[in-house]
Amino acid sequence: MKSRKKSGGVLGIVAMASIAALSLTGCTRTAPGEGGGTTAAPGITDSAITLGVTTPLSGATAGPGTCTVAGVQAYFGSVNAAGGVKFGDGKTRTVNIKAYDDAYDPQKSLSNFQQMVSDNVFAVTSGLGTPTNRAFRDAAISAKVPQVLVMTGDPLFSDREESPWQLGFVPIYQNEGSAFGELLAKSGQQHKVAVLYQNDDYGKGYVEGFKEAVQGASNVSIVGEQTYEATDTSVDAQLTQLAASGADVFFNAMSITPLVIASLQKAQQIGWKPSWFLPSNTSSPTAILQPGGAAAYPGIYTVSFAKAPQSPEFAQNEDVVKFLADLKQYGNYPDMPAFPHCMWSYMVGATLEEAFENMTEPTRENFMTALRDIKGLQAPLMLEGTAVDTTVDGQPAVSSVLVQKYNGRGYATAENFG
Amino acid sequence: MSNAPSVLRGRPARIALVVVLALVLLAAPLFLPPFANQTLVRIGVYAVAVLGLNIVMGYTGQVNLGQIFFVGLGAYVTAYGVNHDWNIVVVFIAACAVAGIVGLLVALAAARLGGLAIAMVTIALPIVGVPLAKRLDEFTGGSQGISARFSDAPEWSNLYSDQWQYYIVLLVTVVAFLLARNLVRGKYGRAFGVVKENEAVAASMGVSPYRTKVLAFTIASIYGGASGFLYMAAVQYTSPETLSFGHSISLLAAMVIGGAGSIIGSLIGGAYYVFVPQLTNAIDPSFTTASQGAILLVVLFLLPQGLVSLPRVVRRLTRGRTNRTTTARTTTGSNPPQTPPGPPPATEPAPEGLEKTERQDRS
Repeated sequence: MKSRKKSGGVLGIVAMASIAALSLTGCTRTAPGEGGGTTAAPGITDSAITLGVTTPLSGATAGPGTCTVAGVQAYFGSVNAAGGVKFGDGKTRTVNIKAYDDAYDPQKSLSNFQQMVSDNVFAVTSGLGTPTNRAFRDAAISAKVPQVLVMTGDPLFSDREESPWQLGFVPIYQNEGSAFGELLAKSGQQHKVAVLYQNDDYGKGYVEGFKEAVQGASNVSIVGEQTYEATDTSVDAQLTQLAASGADVFFNAMSITPLVIASLQKAQQIGWKPSWFLPSNTSSPTAILQPGGAAAYPGIYTVSFAKAPQSPEFAQNEDVVKFLADLKQYGNYPDMPAFPHCMWSYMVGATLEEAFENMTEPTRENFMTALRDIKGLQAPLMLEGTAVDTTVDGQPAVSSVLVQKYNGRGYATAENFG
Repeated sequence: MSNAPSVLRGRPARIALVVVLALVLLAAPLFLPPFANQTLVRIGVYAVAVLGLNIVMGYTGQVNLGQIFFVGLGAYVTAYGVNHDWNIVVVFIAACAVAGIVGLLVALAAARLGGLAIAMVTIALPIVGVPLAKRLDEFTGGSQGISARFSDAPEWSNLYSDQWQYYIVLLVTVVAFLLARNLVRGKYGRAFGVVKENEAVAASMGVSPYRTKVLAFTIASIYGGASGFLYMAAVQYTSPETLSFGHSISLLAAMVIGGAGSIIGSLIGGAYYVFVPQLTNAIDPSFTTASQGAILLVVLFLLPQGLVSLPRVVRRLTRGRTNRTTTARTTTGSNPPQTPPGPPPATEPAPEGLEKTERQDRS
């Protein structure tokens, strides 16, 4: 027994040593940068290209997160069914989308990114969330993997010097604020504006854009400015103060759904009925405006760049009909999309296709060059007057938005204020 | 007589085993693909956090639902220190110390409360922590979070960053595990055990339950801070999402699944925390929560003592089968069947089990 035990130990050592020796000979790491030049990058062959999406598919943000996958899957599902994308190098490839759930946890999104690199994904796209995208931004830069057309309003992703391998898709917060400011400045009437914003980069971004746009406009004066914290459960005090300023326009950069509903109700109670501006993500007609009793106000404004499939105006629209059919057939999303992210991610698909068609080499560098050279692309579902433009430094792929006015059921583009 | 030489003979074998293990751990990152290294790094991060949780919950029996708060705190302190160009050793000490001091202050108040009240206090930590991290944006970068890169491999090392990170995490994790092992096997470990079993008995033996709880809680917080430092080494970015309450519960689940009151169980718990999301992602990314729940239930039903008890359970099952077959053969005889070859149960449990009986004997 005893001698056997001892020999077991020795055997173990021998076994371990041989395992180590085997792995020594078996695995050697390829040097980084070997994929550069004219050889194809990982994730792209002569017949297919693989893209990865890390996005929240479980947890509190799963609703919009699921949409960010469904839209792009629907788009390329339909393209693949028609044969695939004809790339600029003359080869036709099908586009595969691999989805990874990060549950809005930065640590998991980084882990998903590392997994994508080991799964040979060509580029990461369409994922939702500022912290989750930031978590692997540095890693994507050092691995030289494109992280493009992601769903975050964070301007960092559109800064070319800071983020050479990144590009945001949706308008940054400043774009939304300034679109409304411009409309107000050219209205030709005198306006007193009350401003309420969330005391973080989100709220500050909106206000920054708005103030820039109305700077120098003699007809717009800001008469009151209040902030609230994202954790506050009531903004009644701020509303009462702003109401006392006698403003006729209320610029409310608020991201919390229940607070928006409560503010819409509270302002009515205290007899303050200005025109409202609300951010695009907290202006849903069914989820926010109807419960808030928004019909009582002279106007509720927001911004958009996508056709809303719910709106009766677009029910028969060619784009919308095809989009809904694709979403059902290829996106595994049979319902009417509840979040605009479904439409946005569908447009991401169209933008990527455009970049692929201009790619002359199957490399990531070439892809980035092609992607940064898209101008005036009218992707499906885009509103008349908006377009994809990736050529401007500091701006996301979509920076043009149109101010929309609530008409009691949905939104319609507002040409003029009032 | 015959025992002494066997111990002597066992010892070199054990040393050899430890040496081989150390060599394998040291050499592994040089041969493994980057993704394997990155996964091992994350396992180390969470193993340290789970280990801290195990000290306060598994060994001392005090419910702590706020461990992730200390991980996040350690991560923020690390990010702050790195961005202000502190020496990295100072950063590490600060991450542990700040988490430890906050843990101590909370414990001084919380340990006075009994049972579930202490759990409520610890729930409050991550719930307060998230908005606090958003508001203190001078230190934390607000809701956009904060990056800090200190774990990229330096030029002279000739290593890849994932290998360098592996060695950082390996160093801290090994030291943390050795310290924890010595702690729970020594005087304080026995005190933890008595307080867990019966506070009145502990008090009658001169062990102050209050001080013991505060000590355990503080040590757990320091481990949380160390884990936060490692988190920054691995992820290089933190945001308020890091300390969200849900992750605290996931850590707790990882501890129970790995094995409460077990050092090796903490390592397994860390591996569980990292592997299961990867596994469920591979199964179907749309159903990660459902499949994680299913895995949790299966493990808890089959192995209520955690994954660390798997070898024991397997052995018991195989022995049970041989027993049954022997019984079937000898039903006609009146004598009970002879025990089949193989060590009797009392002498064979894992080192953890031995340690436990020793502790109970002395108390």
